[in-house]
Amino acid sequence: MFKYIVKRILSSILVLLGVVTITFFIARVLPSNPEVKWAGQRATEEQLAAARIELGLDKSLPEQYVIYLRDLLHGNLGKSLNNHQPVTSELARYIPATLELVLLAFILAIAIGIPLGIYSAHKKDKLLDHVSRVFSIGSVSLPTFWVALFLQLIFYKGLNLLPIGGRMSVTATIFESVPNISGMLLLDCLLTGKFTLFFDALRHIILPCITISLYPIGLVSRMTRSALLEILGEDYITAGHSYGLSSGKMLWKYALKNSLGTTATDVALSMGYTLTDTFLVEAIFSWPGIGSYISSAVTTLDYPAIIGVTLFGATCYIILNLIADIIIASDPRVRL
Amino acid sequence: MKRFLCLILAGALALSLAACGGGDSGSAGAGSSGGSAGGGAPADTKVLYHTYHSAPYITLDPSTEYSNGIMVLQNVYETLTRYNSETGEVDPVLATSWTKNDDGTVWVFQLRDDVTFHDGTPMTAQQVVSSFKRSMDLGQGGAYIWDAVLESNGGSVEATGDYEVTITCGYPCAIDLVVSAGYAAYIMSDSVIEQTTEWFTEGHDGGSGPYMITQATGDSVVLQAYEGYRGGWQDNQYRNVMIRDVPESSARRQMMETGECQLSSEFSTTDLAALKEQTDKVYTYQADTFNNIIMFLNTATEPCNNADFRRALAYAFPYEETVNEILNGNAQQSVGTVPSGLWGHDDSVFQYTCDLDKAKEYLDKSGVNTDGLTLTVTYMTGYDEYASALQLYQVNLKQLGIGLELRSMEWDQQWAQAQNTAPEDRQDMFVFIWWPDYADPVSWFQSLLHSEDQIVYNLSYLKDPELDAIIEDAVEKTVTDRAAAEADYVKAQQMVAENAYLLNLYDQMHTYVIGNSIEGVSENPSYSNAILYYNITAK
Repeated sequence: MFKYIVKRILSSILVLLGVVTITFFIARVLPSNPEVKWAGQRATEEQLAAARIELGLDKSLPEQYVIYLRDLLHGNLGKSLNNHQPVTSELARYIPATLELVLLAFILAIAIGIPLGIYSAHKKDKLLDHVSRVFSIGSVSLPTFWVALFLQLIFYKGLNLLPIGGRMSVTATIFESVPNISGMLLLDCLLTGKFTLFFDALRHIILPCITISLYPIGLVSRMTRSALLEILGEDYITAGHSYGLSSGKMLWKYALKNSLGTTATDVALSMGYTLTDTFLVEAIFSWPGIGSYISSAVTTLDYPAIIGVTLFGATCYIILNLIADIIIASDPRVRL
Repeated sequence: MKRFLCLILAGALALSLAACGGGDSGSAGAGSSGGSAGGGAPADTKVLYHTYHSAPYITLDPSTEYSNGIMVLQNVYETLTRYNSETGEVDPVLATSWTKNDDGTVWVFQLRDDVTFHDGTPMTAQQVVSSFKRSMDLGQGGAYIWDAVLESNGGSVEATGDYEVTITCGYPCAIDLVVSAGYAAYIMSDSVIEQTTEWFTEGHDGGSGPYMITQATGDSVVLQAYEGYRGGWQDNQYRNVMIRDVPESSARRQMMETGECQLSSEFSTTDLAALKEQTDKVYTYQADTFNNIIMFLNTATEPCNNADFRRALAYAFPYEETVNEILNGNAQQSVGTVPSGLWGHDDSVFQYTCDLDKAKEYLDKSGVNTDGLTLTVTYMTGYDEYASALQLYQVNLKQLGIGLELRSMEWDQQWAQAQNTAPEDRQDMFVFIWWPDYADPVSWFQSLLHSEDQIVYNLSYLKDPELDAIIEDAVEKTVTDRAAAEADYVKAQQMVAENAYLLNLYDQMHTYVIGNSIEGVSENPSYSNAILYYNITAK
C-alpha cells in the first residue's frame, strides 16, 4: 500500500510537470503582448523595452522556462501582468473563499445525497424512490445560473430572508474587525469566537452553497443508490437474508460499507471539477473566489495568472484523484 | 434510519433559522486587509454603497494604475489641476496658479499651503516633485504622459520654493493639462514614495483627498473620511463608502430596487428600462464621456484605399439605429473625432448619416467591383453592442452587394492581426474604443491619425503629410495659442470626415441609477467612471 502511494505521488509530480510545461509554452506561443499589458497600452518604446527586461522576455524561451521552473520550486509563480501582484498571494487570497464554499457544498451534498441514495435503494420502485430519483435527475440537470437567479429572486427579493451576494454585510465589513486567519470566514469567525459575524457569514453562504451543492447531491444520491442496489443483489446478501439477518442490519452493516468506495471516488473527482468551475455561481452571487480570478486572467491573457490557476486546478485534481485511488486501493478486493 | 434522517433535517433547520435571524444592510466580500479605520467605529455609520459591474480597481498604485482604479484614486488623491468639461478650462486643485514661458517649455506652479496628507504631513513642493518622479521612474500605466519631462528628453521637475514647482520640458508641452490627468499625475506623501505597487494594492494610501482607503479586497474597496480634509465635512455627506463588484446586472437591479445600494450603472437594457419606471425608488443620470467608438478603415490596401469606396462604407453604417435601438439612447452619434465637452470639438464638423442611396452613389463612383467582395471587420470579444451594430451594418452592406465577415477576437489577437507586417493579412475594418488620458485632442490625432513608422494605433495605416502637418501645428499651438490649436483640430477633423479615414461611430454615455435618498452624483468625462463621493449628500 505504501509503495503504491509513493508510486502514485511520483507519477502525480510528473503529471504536474507536464501541465506546467504545456501551459507555459502554450501561453508563450499565443499571440500576445505581455510587455504592453505590463507597461500600459500607450507606453513608449523605452517603457516597453524596460518591461521586456523586467519580465525576462529578452531571454530565450528555454531560458525563460528554466527560470520559471526554478521560481516555481521556491513557490514563486511570477507576477500578474494585470495588477503586478504576485500570483501566489493572489491565489492565496481567492482560493480560501472558493474552498470554503465548495467544501460546505460537498458536506451538504454528502449529508443529503448519501441518505437519499440509501433510502431510495432501500425503497426501490416505491413512491419515495421515484420522488428521490426525479429530484436527483432534476438537480443534476438544472442549469446552475437558473437555480442561482431563482434562489435570489425568492429568498432576497421575494422573502427578504437571505442576502443576494457577497460574503458579509456591508456594515460588518466596514465597522467590525473581520478575522482573517485561514481566509475561510466561517472557520475564522468560529476560531476567534465572533459568533455574530459567523452568522452573518453563514447567511451569505447559504444560497451559493445550495446552488453549488445541487449537482453533487444528485450525483451522490444516484451513485449511492446504484452502487447499493448492485451490492444488495449480491449472493452474500441473499445468503444473509436466508440466515434470518434483518434487512436493516444487512443494509447498514454489510451492503453500505461495500458500496461507498464508488461514491467516494465520484465525490472526490466532482469536487476537483467544482473547485475550478464555480465562476458562474461566484459571478451571480458576487462571491470573491477563484472563479472571478480565472475569468479575468483568461480574458486578458494574463499568462502568469493562467499558469497559476491551471496549476491549482491540476493539483486539486491530482490530490483528489490520489485520495480516490487510495480509497479504492484500501478495498481488499482490489488487487494492487 | 428514520431517526438519522430526522436528526439531519433538524440540524439543518436549526442552522438555517439561526442564520436567517437579524437584518441585513448590504453585503460585501469580506476584508482581507485593513479593518475599522482609526481603531474604532466612526461616529457616523451612514454608508454610501456603490455597486459596480466589474472589479473597482486593478491596482491602487497612484503612479501606475491605468484602469478602473480611477474611481477610487480620484477620491483619495488629488492632482495639481483638473479639467472642467463644462467651461473647457483647467481649474486649480492643489496648485493655486501657474505660468509658462513663451514656447511652453518651462512651467511654474504655485501650490496651496493648506494641504495635508492622510498621514498628517503637510504638502510641499518636494512631495509634488517626488510624486511626479515616481510615475516617471516606474514608467508604467499612464506614465507616457510625462514624455516631455523625462530627463532623457531634456526635461526636469524641480522644487523651486516651498510651494513652487518648476517643470521643464524637452519640447513644448501643455503641462497644465498633463498634471490634470486621471492617471500617473497624483500627488502623494513622501512617506509612501518608496512603497511598492503591492503595498498600495493591499489597501494603503498616501493621498490628500477627502477619503482614505481602509480596505481593499480585490472585488471591493472601503473608503472612509479623512477628517483633516481641508474642505471639512457636513453631516449629510457620506463618511463611509463601499464600492463593490457585483457582476450580474439582475443582482444590481434587485439591490437598487430594495434600496440596499444607492448607486450603480452598466445595467442590461431590460434592467435599465425596468428601473427607469420605478421613480418612487430611483432616478437616472446620464453622463457624457470622452469614450469614442471608432471604426478604422484599412487605407493601405484595396478596396479601402479608394476614398469614394470609404465614403460609401461611411454612408452605409446604421448610426441612428445603433444609438437608439442597440444602445437604447446610452450613447450619442459622434460629431467629428473629438467628443462633445472636450476643447477642439465643433458641432459643425461634417458627419455621415445612414443613407444607402448616397452609399450606392459613392460606390458607383469608386469603380470598385463588388462581385464576390467580402470585407472583414474585427472587434473585441465580449462587446455585444459592437456585434449587434455590425450585424445591422452587414445587412446594409449586403444591399450594396458587399459581404461583411464579422470576426470577434480577444484584444491581443485583434491587435496582432492589425499590426501584421503583411498588409494583405490585416483586416479591412477595425472597431475599438478610444479615450484620452488627459483633456487634449492630441490623444486621437497623434496616436490614431499621425503617420507612424511602426504600427501602433494608426490602424487606418494613414500616411497623409497634409494631415500630419496640421496635427504637428496643433500640438505646438496647444501650448502657445490654444484657440489656434482648436482651429487646427477642427480642420483636421473635417479632413478625416471628408476622406473617411476612419468612422467615428458614437460617443458612449454612462447611465447611472441613483437611489432617491441621495443627490449630487456627477461624472466629469475627463475622469471616466469616477464619481466624487465627497459631493454626494443624503437628501
